[in-house]
Amino acid sequence: MNRVAEFARRHPAIWPILGCLVFFVLIGGLTGSIDPTVVFTAARLATFAALLGLAQMIVVTSGDGAIDLSQVYVLTLCAYASTTLMDINPVLGFIAAVLIGGLAGLLNGLINIYLKVPAMVTTLATGYLYFSVVLVGSSHMKVLPQQDFVTLVTGSVGPVSNQTILVAVVALILAVVLYRTSYGKQLHAVGQNRTAASLAGIPTPRVVITAFVTGGLLSGLAGVVAAAVMGGAFQDMGLAYFLPSVAATFVGGTAASGGRSSVLGVAFGALMMTLMSSFLNTAENTFDLVSGIKQLIMGAFLVLILFVSVAGTKRRRGRVGTVSTLKPSAAS
Amino acid sequence: MGSSAPQTTTAGAAAARSLEPLLELRDIDKSFGITQALSGADLEVFPGEVIGLVGPNGAGKSTLIKLVTGVMEPTAGVIRVKGREVAQISHREVAQLGISCAYQDLSLCTNLAVYENFAILNMDHTLWGPVGWRKAKMAEASALLERFFPGNGIDVSRPVSALTLAERQMVEICKALMNEGLGLLILDEPTSALSANRADQLHSAVREISRTGVAVIYISHKLDEIQKICDRIVLLKNGTNAGEFDPREISSDELVNIMGGEVRVRDLSRDRTSMVGASLVSAHELNSAGLTDISVEVKSGEIVGISGLVGSGQTALLKAIFGARQGRKQGLVVNGQVAYVSGDRAGEGVFPLWSILDNIMVSSLRSVTRLGLLNRVKSRGVAQHWFDRLRFRAENVDSPITSLSGGNQQKALIARGLASGADILLLNDPTAGVDIETKQEIYTLLAEAKAAGKAVVLHSTEDVEMEICDRVYVMREGRVTAELAGEDVTVQNVVRASFAEVDQVDQQEKAAPSRLAGLLHSRLVLPVAAMVIIFALNAIVNPNVLSLSSTRLLLSTAVPLVFAALGQMFIVAAGDIDMGNGYSIGLTNVLVAVILSQNFLVGLVSLVLFIGAYAAMGALIHLRRLPAIVVTLGAQFIWLGIALIIAPVPGGSSPKWLSSFYNSGLLYIPMPAVLCIAVAAVTWFVIFRWKYGMVLRGIGNNQDAIERSGWSYLVGKMVNYALAGLMVVFAGLFFTAVTYAADVNTSVAFCMMSIATVIVGGCEMAGGVVEPIGVVAAGIAMSLITSLLIFVQVDSNLQVAVTGLIIIGVLAARMLTRRKASVA
Repeated sequence: MNRVAEFARRHPAIWPILGCLVFFVLIGGLTGSIDPTVVFTAARLATFAALLGLAQMIVVTSGDGAIDLSQVYVLTLCAYASTTLMDINPVLGFIAAVLIGGLAGLLNGLINIYLKVPAMVTTLATGYLYFSVVLVGSSHMKVLPQQDFVTLVTGSVGPVSNQTILVAVVALILAVVLYRTSYGKQLHAVGQNRTAASLAGIPTPRVVITAFVTGGLLSGLAGVVAAAVMGGAFQDMGLAYFLPSVAATFVGGTAASGGRSSVLGVAFGALMMTLMSSFLNTAENTFDLVSGIKQLIMGAFLVLILFVSVAGTKRRRGRVGTVSTLKPSAAS
Repeated sequence: MGSSAPQTTTAGAAAARSLEPLLELRDIDKSFGITQALSGADLEVFPGEVIGLVGPNGAGKSTLIKLVTGVMEPTAGVIRVKGREVAQISHREVAQLGISCAYQDLSLCTNLAVYENFAILNMDHTLWGPVGWRKAKMAEASALLERFFPGNGIDVSRPVSALTLAERQMVEICKALMNEGLGLLILDEPTSALSANRADQLHSAVREISRTGVAVIYISHKLDEIQKICDRIVLLKNGTNAGEFDPREISSDELVNIMGGEVRVRDLSRDRTSMVGASLVSAHELNSAGLTDISVEVKSGEIVGISGLVGSGQTALLKAIFGARQGRKQGLVVNGQVAYVSGDRAGEGVFPLWSILDNIMVSSLRSVTRLGLLNRVKSRGVAQHWFDRLRFRAENVDSPITSLSGGNQQKALIARGLASGADILLLNDPTAGVDIETKQEIYTLLAEAKAAGKAVVLHSTEDVEMEICDRVYVMREGRVTAELAGEDVTVQNVVRASFAEVDQVDQQEKAAPSRLAGLLHSRLVLPVAAMVIIFALNAIVNPNVLSLSSTRLLLSTAVPLVFAALGQMFIVAAGDIDMGNGYSIGLTNVLVAVILSQNFLVGLVSLVLFIGAYAAMGALIHLRRLPAIVVTLGAQFIWLGIALIIAPVPGGSSPKWLSSFYNSGLLYIPMPAVLCIAVAAVTWFVIFRWKYGMVLRGIGNNQDAIERSGWSYLVGKMVNYALAGLMVVFAGLFFTAVTYAADVNTSVAFCMMSIATVIVGGCEMAGGVVEPIGVVAAGIAMSLITSLLIFVQVDSNLQVAVTGLIIIGVLAARMLTRRKASVA
């Protein structure tokens, strides 16, 4: 019994993977047939929750209560940027649009670290800024995606969507960066204890800002792809992904207080959220459920899984605005 | 001790001894794991005597006090309370004996007013105080402070955070003195921040209360004051009694000699074979926070000790050296790589989620990186090398760091520093709470590092450890007061230099800022000014705004936001945040428009249940220590789900009575305006005037202080959440009155807007500091911005940008004023 608990603690990804299996079987039970295309469809639909969830995971892992609330606005902003810029030059436009996301992340990180504004408040405020750029600028921007790019992202290799391949590649790169490079080690150290990290000689400000930039780049990428998949950019395109992505982040085993991440867990967390959604949709149609039951179950399930997984870690609660006793050396 | 030391009996104490001792501790052992903090310590306390408890750093004084105040129980030994034997001193005995302690680390809620900190302790735990209790408590608090510290000039209505350190110390002492049945007063370094004048006042106070039969235990490193006011000196060393003295028969020098006694660290034969080489650290008249005119030098191949009484600036010096590792700092040159090893392992050392391997390697990642990737084999090799060399008591390098004892964790931290290849090793009290054997291993490691040509700087709170150093700098109040070298490095000399009086540094108590400056810095200025200015701009652009009907129109859209923000405020007061109030307002909107409008009673019950759900959410967050941000995010699905079940499509209607109420007025004042004023007044009353408001604010600031005062933290948090739920209900109610229907999806924006409003309104997201009137003003201001932008025919979309800019602007402005305040 202890062994199992220990294994689960070391590999938080097993929770969402189990969850995926459960919902896959449940869907099969409802429809009366086990159909693998359900998984492939769900994986395709999970693209944006997965990308945003991974982005959020990196920011949250930097600790100190860090969270990026501006993500969905960065996604929308980059979607508009991509439709406009890729019209001029597909490749450069693509790169520029993703870089805009990185720039947004950089601004978030700089304000958080050097103005010492708590990350949550910072990204709340900058989110407003990015969104207003969209609101004001959208009338001057192109909204239709570049056609070749649309063909590319909506294509598939066998039953596997190109979007799923994209997510897999991104996840692989992130896994290497987070678990096999010194930056990854430093990020996890900073997330566990910023004071200790600084005293261990880690350039804490740079590590945190890099986390925000990476998060921004991923949100930007999600935006560019979203514009192509959804047939264009629109003002509220990001909103639908806020909840599933945050849920994927925490269900996937990211410690809310920082310092622990799981690329695999978050990726499957996004898949699980999508499968849960499809299951509830199927159930809704099959049993003619009252609308709302779906959200209710989703919410209750989320709180439950938090109750089980987050509380089990018994760690100090991440407090927003904790000031480390050591001044960041780069600040002087 | 007692009768065995008749020579120490003074006349006063002799009279006291005829009485039964208040408290008797005999043969007390206290160990933490393998560390023995107390072994066979004795303490007898008689009514009316002043005991001076002295001893070198790490002698066990704090542990003894924790036993007396019931914070800990002894491992072994006998405790008698008024002759009755007890296993440990419980809360009951603490109350019965009237034990009060002025803590060194202050136990005040810094966001509460001075008199509230007193009131929270000595008022009964009912929800309401008698009419005018605040006035009475203020007068009481002033009188108390004035009685013991005449002319202190402390304004008891100011929050503790606005006081100087000396003023806080006076408040802390008076808080301890306030105990009605005071029988035993413990003062732990009470004069560390006080000027000589104030210290004298404290001494008279101590004499005065001891005359009334109260016993006092007075802990101080300042031997002159111990001799001045104590009847009896109890000297503690290495966790046991090292003697008991009559202050009139012993000089400070003799005391110091006894304290620095014969205990010796195993002689490491200070081998002179290691070559003392180039200077690696050199400070010349360094001045910075907590440091004055520091001149020190550290060369390669030597161990340099930094000693002195706890808190004399040793840590500040180490951190200054560490901070200067990249480049130069005024007055400080550091050549070479620096590694910092902290003795505060949990706070600034270990990474608790990691294995021993990762904890050792975190500072030397570059050396095991190839082509951008970490080489696991090489990494493991390095870690294994240190693991074998330091003989960790653990399975292998992959064992979690938290499975190690404190001493072994410390070895891992030292290995981290050594593995990084640093030339300079800074150690901040590395042997705190470490057993003897591991201590020896650590000394050996340091000697090896020295032999390898590294520079080792060792600060230790255990004076005996200074004997392994080649040279020692002794610090006092942020200055280096002595440098010992070679044969002069003895505990005796270190202790003597530690207790040396510095030229009386002026400890001028800073004058509190004037009332006018205080008013300008008030948190209310910004939101109120914003509201007035934006309203004026509205009026300039569109003079019709000044008419009553227009004002009604403008304000009626502002009211739901005002309530939403107040709900957010109550949760922020508890130190949390509500990320789900967008949908929870949507739910109450549905409950009102669909249920309450049909059946008042059922609707009312549903709303009460909703408030209960909010309180339960608060309880869940506290009991399972879940992050509020995630729980409230998850909960919003539930709000949304329930709302959709009740009203799958937009619909419902505003109850008639609600609409007619909302559209009425009071003496020509439109109802929305009346509501804003009324809710500002009521929430202001709840937060600042209601007795329980102290608890509501206190829990976001200092959990210990609240729990120590006997109020329930859990209940406090639930009340905060319930009040937030109530505000959400009102927000939903008036949102229905504005929109005339239910649609769960139209209220989503309230979440972000309410957080923005709370920030602009002058609240601190860190908790405890809230400003209801400011929040109401800010809510109106935020709402008026929209209409202003419409009047000037700006794209209404820009409102979002304006909101974002306002948040950043407000925070930047607040940062500037705060910085100015800290400079002044």
